[in-house]
Amino acid sequence: MTYVLNRLLSVILTLFLITLITFAITNILPGDVAMMIMGTQSNPEALAGLRQSLGLNDPLLVQYGRWVGGMLTGDWGDSLIFKKPIAELLSQKIVASAIIVVMSMTIALALAIPLGVWAAVHRDKWQDTASSSTALLGVSLPDFFWGIVMILVFARWLGWFPSSGFVDPSENFVRALRHAFLPSLALGLGLMAHLTRMTRSTMIGILGQEFIRVARAKGLSERTVIWRYALANAIGPVITIAGLQIGYLFGSIIVMETLFNYTGMGWLTYQALLNRDMPLIQASVFVIAAVVMLTNLVVDLLYVAIDPRIRLD
Amino acid sequence: MKRFLSVKGLIGLILVGSMVLIGIFAPILIPPEAGTAMDMTSRLSPPSWAHPFGTDQLGRDLMVRVLLGTRLSLEIAVTAVMMSILIGLPLGMVSGYFGGITDNVLMRLVDTLLAFPALLLALTISAILGPNLQNTIIAIGVAFTPFLARIVRGEALRVAQMPYVEAARASGTTDMMILWRHILPNILPAVIVQATISIAFAILAEAGLSFLGLGTQPPAASWGLMIQASRDFLDRAPWTALVPGIAVALTVLGLNMFGDVLRDILDPRSK
Repeated sequence: MTYVLNRLLSVILTLFLITLITFAITNILPGDVAMMIMGTQSNPEALAGLRQSLGLNDPLLVQYGRWVGGMLTGDWGDSLIFKKPIAELLSQKIVASAIIVVMSMTIALALAIPLGVWAAVHRDKWQDTASSSTALLGVSLPDFFWGIVMILVFARWLGWFPSSGFVDPSENFVRALRHAFLPSLALGLGLMAHLTRMTRSTMIGILGQEFIRVARAKGLSERTVIWRYALANAIGPVITIAGLQIGYLFGSIIVMETLFNYTGMGWLTYQALLNRDMPLIQASVFVIAAVVMLTNLVVDLLYVAIDPRIRLD
Repeated sequence: MKRFLSVKGLIGLILVGSMVLIGIFAPILIPPEAGTAMDMTSRLSPPSWAHPFGTDQLGRDLMVRVLLGTRLSLEIAVTAVMMSILIGLPLGMVSGYFGGITDNVLMRLVDTLLAFPALLLALTISAILGPNLQNTIIAIGVAFTPFLARIVRGEALRVAQMPYVEAARASGTTDMMILWRHILPNILPAVIVQATISIAFAILAEAGLSFLGLGTQPPAASWGLMIQASRDFLDRAPWTALVPGIAVALTVLGLNMFGDVLRDILDPRSK
């Protein structure tokens, strides 16, 4: 209980720090939000009036207080480019991105765990070299390069999947998944590389332990020893690493969603950055950092649920 | 030294060495205008004797551009990583050595910064400062600082508990002197390993930033920009994406392999 309370307090403090950092980064901007709204050709008096009405002349601390206050009461302001309430925009786009994040993580884990186990079981043999080389190549290519290859092969040449656009899953679930597949596959391949390396090294550590030798001595089949005994122990650290990759994933979706014209959080953030839509930049940067932080918390708790040997207190 | 001669170490060393040599000599041997010289009669022509890597949509020779891009990529990545070391090293050292409230405050801040995906942080900073070469370096440098500070702090914490540091403290050596003479030399191997791997990530980040138009700007021969420009011609001229893509991959692959071997040598605990 104390642990949960402590964690909760720490989450609140971190969220507060995230707002502070987001606000600080976006306010070192030499540009002028009022000019962004009205354009560079607008007359100075109108600009001054708008600045006054938006409260841009107030001290930074007051502006910060107003921003955080607004977010707490559900008023996130309007986007300058989309002319829509930011809260509404974000709630739509985050669903789109959640599909990609879950899908790419599933693809990455489904490929990385067998590949990592295979490499660990055949340590220092050709299987290990093949698996490690694949992983090393995977981390060495920019994921947007994978994205381009996917478009070329699966969309242009084979015509199996659409190369751009987003479909709302409530309209047509299958089409939604088909649109999300290529960006997820491209992200999943990049992610897989990290996870394969992690699975391999964790499995090697576990395969050298006493209880594995005992299991083998008992005459259990190699399949049972590896998949039921060793992997059950390796899965915790692998999931932790997978959770930590969520941050990397949220960075990458900006590139990938833009490349595939998939209108999720990443695409939205990119549009905001490109057009210097300050309120939208602040909100989306905050939301992404908060999601990453909360995912890490969930992974921590999940780790405990998976591995009963770990005690919270 | 022997371990550098492993296959992996050797390939890494050769790749990194070649890229550094290309980075140094390509801009000296190739006249700068060759990188932007357009030839509209040979647009998107496939690899041939005249253009070994083919040409792009403006008829520019891809081999020349990819060679010139090496300097740019390495320059940005190395400078950005040096910048992150310059900020992250003292922060991490102070935090790990002094501990207590300083450590708590600094690391809380670093942990919060780590919640921001590095690419998002770099993109935001670059978009806000205005995308150009200098701001790309600043954006990547700042985005990478929290990682470095975290690693340095962990190392400094470990070294600070060593008996020789205690002995130095007992004999009245000042904190500044201990940091300089005992902590710094002992955490340097870990920093060098991290820096090598960070350069690989910085190259990927620069390519990502430029790909999104928030990094180096045209007509610079940046690998990320070249891949971005290739998007509209993928069907007709896949080499326009493959050539810069392979350049990024080989450099990053080399740095990763080199970094792995370097880690085994300099930091045997992590093996």
